[in-house]
Amino acid sequence: MQSTPHRWFGVGQSSAPDSRKAGAEAAAEAIGGRESKAVFVFASVAHDLPALLKGVRMEAGPDAEIVGATTMGELGSAGTTDGGIAVAALGGDGFTVQVRAAQIHRSDPRAAGAAAAEALHGLDDENQVLVLLADGLSGQQHEIVRGAYSSIGASVPLVGGFAADDRRFRQTYQFLGDEVLTGAVVGLALGSDGPIGIGVAHGWRRKEPPMVVTKASGPHIYQLDGEPALDVLLRRNELEGSAEDLFDRGRALQPLGLSRRSGEDIRVIHAGDDEARSIWGTADVPQGALVWLMEGDRQSMLDGAAWSCTEAIARLDGLPPLGVLAFDCGGRWAGLVEGGLDQEIQAMRTALSDAPFAGFYTLGEIARVRGALGTHALTLVTLALA
Amino acid sequence: MESWSTHQLTEYFTAVNAAEDEATAIAGAVERATEMVEAEVGAVVREGRISGAYGFGPVVPEAALHEVAAGQPILVVPYVGEMHAISNPLGAESGDALIVARMGEPFEPSERQMLQGMGQVLGLALRSIRVLAAERRLRTEKEQQATSAQTRQRLVESLLTIQRAISARRPLPEILDAVTGGAAELLAGATVTLMLAEGGPDRRLTVASTCGDAAAPPESLARAAMAGGAALIRPDNGGCLIAAPVRVTGEMAGSLVARLPATTSGQNEQRDQLAAFAQQVSLALTDARTVEAVREAHHDLITGLPNRALFLKILNRVLASRDTTADPTSVLFIDLDRFKAVNDSLGHDAGDQLLALVARRLRGCVRASDTTARLGGDEFAALLHDSPAEAAEVVGARIVATLKEPFRVAGREVFIGASVGIAISREDDEKSEELLHNADVAMYRAKKEGPGRVLLYQPYMHAEALDHLSLRGDLQRALREGEFRLQYQPLIRLADGRPAGVEALIRWHSPTRGFVSPVDFIPIAEEFGLIVDIGQWVLETSAAQVARWRRDFPELGLNVNVSGHQLVHPRFADNVMRALGMAGLPSSAVTLELTESVLVSEPDLGRSALQVLRELGVQLSIDDFGTGYSSLAYLRELPVDELKVDRAFIARAELTAEDLALVRTIVQLAQILGLRVVAEGIENAAQLAALRGLGCGYGQGFHLCRPVDPEEIPARLAEAQGESPVGVLDHRSTA
Repeated sequence: MQSTPHRWFGVGQSSAPDSRKAGAEAAAEAIGGRESKAVFVFASVAHDLPALLKGVRMEAGPDAEIVGATTMGELGSAGTTDGGIAVAALGGDGFTVQVRAAQIHRSDPRAAGAAAAEALHGLDDENQVLVLLADGLSGQQHEIVRGAYSSIGASVPLVGGFAADDRRFRQTYQFLGDEVLTGAVVGLALGSDGPIGIGVAHGWRRKEPPMVVTKASGPHIYQLDGEPALDVLLRRNELEGSAEDLFDRGRALQPLGLSRRSGEDIRVIHAGDDEARSIWGTADVPQGALVWLMEGDRQSMLDGAAWSCTEAIARLDGLPPLGVLAFDCGGRWAGLVEGGLDQEIQAMRTALSDAPFAGFYTLGEIARVRGALGTHALTLVTLALA
Repeated sequence: MESWSTHQLTEYFTAVNAAEDEATAIAGAVERATEMVEAEVGAVVREGRISGAYGFGPVVPEAALHEVAAGQPILVVPYVGEMHAISNPLGAESGDALIVARMGEPFEPSERQMLQGMGQVLGLALRSIRVLAAERRLRTEKEQQATSAQTRQRLVESLLTIQRAISARRPLPEILDAVTGGAAELLAGATVTLMLAEGGPDRRLTVASTCGDAAAPPESLARAAMAGGAALIRPDNGGCLIAAPVRVTGEMAGSLVARLPATTSGQNEQRDQLAAFAQQVSLALTDARTVEAVREAHHDLITGLPNRALFLKILNRVLASRDTTADPTSVLFIDLDRFKAVNDSLGHDAGDQLLALVARRLRGCVRASDTTARLGGDEFAALLHDSPAEAAEVVGARIVATLKEPFRVAGREVFIGASVGIAISREDDEKSEELLHNADVAMYRAKKEGPGRVLLYQPYMHAEALDHLSLRGDLQRALREGEFRLQYQPLIRLADGRPAGVEALIRWHSPTRGFVSPVDFIPIAEEFGLIVDIGQWVLETSAAQVARWRRDFPELGLNVNVSGHQLVHPRFADNVMRALGMAGLPSSAVTLELTESVLVSEPDLGRSALQVLRELGVQLSIDDFGTGYSSLAYLRELPVDELKVDRAFIARAELTAEDLALVRTIVQLAQILGLRVVAEGIENAAQLAALRGLGCGYGQGFHLCRPVDPEEIPARLAEAQGESPVGVLDHRSTA
């Protein structure tokens, strides 16, 4: 029998309909008989989640920390699944893992982010990263991430994703140990004596002219340039009709980009209200912001995927990647469906030189390496370990 | 390119003014300011205490923050390291400040200006909240409270309107009028004047915009505000004057002055409000005049990449900072293939779009720490740190591969490519220009060897490049001085040996170089864009010549070679028709020859021009047919009349069974499609017999007739008219 490597990383996927079997199958492939320290589970809400976690635990052993989230599709080295499960596992003496979870309270979403960040407490490895997996439907994504950042500060990078529920927008789940949580933030602090690299890229461009958000509250936008926001979006899409016509008939993706120093901070608008003439997404849009409608074609999105991976690997001090955790936006899924998903996986494989990767399609991505802002949308965030 | 910074101030302003208590206002201001300039940490120093500290984690370096407030430009944060810090006063009098600090890059002037504005806005909000809180405690003057809140709301709305005007790039005077108008409305009854300093040594103040009926304010007050750098209040005939300075990228540019008819109790608040408007004027002016200019000076507007000047600056810095030559720096010079064709045929917008996409892919090919730049036109460069030749070649190959993949531009798939030259720094004192030039030279050499090559610079290439450049000059002169001439080679109908037409062939005898083969100079002419003029000269000269010969030989046709570069020229069809019109040659007598590779590599390009010409009666021939692409699809889609079988199939002294089978296939294909077939390169009687046997309609070659000077053609034609069907015009070739 071969000795356990100092640091290892593996991935597994399954489309098995039986939840327990799917969990066990994907975990077995990821763990490969090694002693794992952390197991990341990304699965569709369609699964019987407690049973799925039992299957994972069976393979992971009693000591492994299990974390995870429900998805809008799963991805990995073997391709994408819709309604399946993707698992990443890591272990070896070179890694240290600590976890923490917190419930999000509507009145103080920051506290949840800060509490989950406590996972880092006492960790003293040379390289550290906090992986956050949070409920994507709380409507307070920025506040959760700001809470985590305010607690840990600039010394440790943040990555992660917001849980989804396929495309139902009703309830998402997070996993910690054998527990299925909802409305929660799960934090996994990862320490390593090897380098850690993070990549972020999108692949959208501005559609002129820009607009000023003249009335907004949280994720709801009421007015753009002083005009009802829904009317503006309908006109810019050359549509007449209702919010349903705009969002449910193949035009589901309405990304808005906020002007930022190094590009755009993107919000995905996914719904509207015919009476209030308002529109909204999952993350807040500040009143007074200057925004652009964003457009992207397949090639630029694929370029973005390759860019994200390349950026993450470039930060590994020249070492080859052991593997990569990927947090890809559900909106990109929508933009790439019909053949583009395979191309994206292929682009990632190529960019990663066939290092294993696993992750999920999210309701929002988290990445903070430079600056203070850690929330993203329509991006591919990659965490490379070496 | 608009400034991202001005876009954000109102967003910040709205957030800060929505806060109902001081702690929320401070926390919101610090976080947004930090995020907006992509800084890592921020805090407020107020009345000697640190509040709203953000991004520090558990340990806030309070002493260091106080030092920053006192002017220290560097902040050391535990576990993170040294950061560039900036302190932004919350008001004129106190030492209170909004502090942010960033790793990596120091703050630019436009960022500093925005942060100064943010500090002032926060100070204004905090004072306003304090007044409100005091009133609330006293539980008096509820109405006053409501009025004050309303005033803040109106201020926000007014500034939003101005922001929109700035971001929508309204004309500057309109924006300035919106500022004075907004301020006058807010300071009910005031006359507000904006005075701006002119250029020149005396910096005279002129009124740029005014709103209200009162007399213009005294220049002295405006100057005093500029000199002090802070808003001032001065009593004036029972009323008062308030002046707030306006800056452009940190420099004093003028003053915003309000004349209020009566003194009211809220003078300080009014002063702060006027200062906020002055800040907007500063931003509008900065946005309009400076930021754009600065960015234009250093970045390419289409791709957002550094331009040549900035690239050289960065390269200089990198070369200067190297400790040893052991860590080599590589410069890659990247030149796109076929970009000009895309630009010419799909338009400049599509070309720009393509350049932006190329830039994006290039960034993906290098490490985040490397620099990519657009040097101009379709030339890009990359600077790789600590990168030996082998690693640079790998990156070069990656770039070539990624740019070969199709681009989606203007709704079409566009295929381009790239050639890459690499130069590696070898000496301590290597100059950045020299390194870039060497990479350029290597790129030329790579391009010469064929598309998609990556080559490392070697000193011998330099001499070649010099020659290359002088060839370009010689070609320009040749065109100007009339050094080109034409020879003509008849096309013979194989059935009866009679001449059906002549092909015009360009010749260049350079006074300095001697005879230069078209194989050598046509690619250079294409590369430097001279081919369109040369091609037009060939067309005009040969058309006039053939028109003269047709008086004696009325059936004579003309074949002219056309480069892909001519084909995609927007006025190509017009140019052809003009040449024919001038010569008096009917379009039906002219066949344009295009090589197969041109048609296949750019199937969409020039197609419309060909259709137009075809409709006008000009015929189209495919030269070198069968040399590798041979797509049936374009034969069906293009208005082709003639195929010229490449000489490679006929060149052997005795044609093999395979050669014959291939030619037979082409002949049959042509018959099915109703096309003429011309066999090129017929050099002996056996070939002639074989081709005639296969049913090939026409032939060209030394055995039939060499290319000859125009003076000889009439005799040759006359001779052939009376000849036997053997059809040998040039007896010298068989001798």
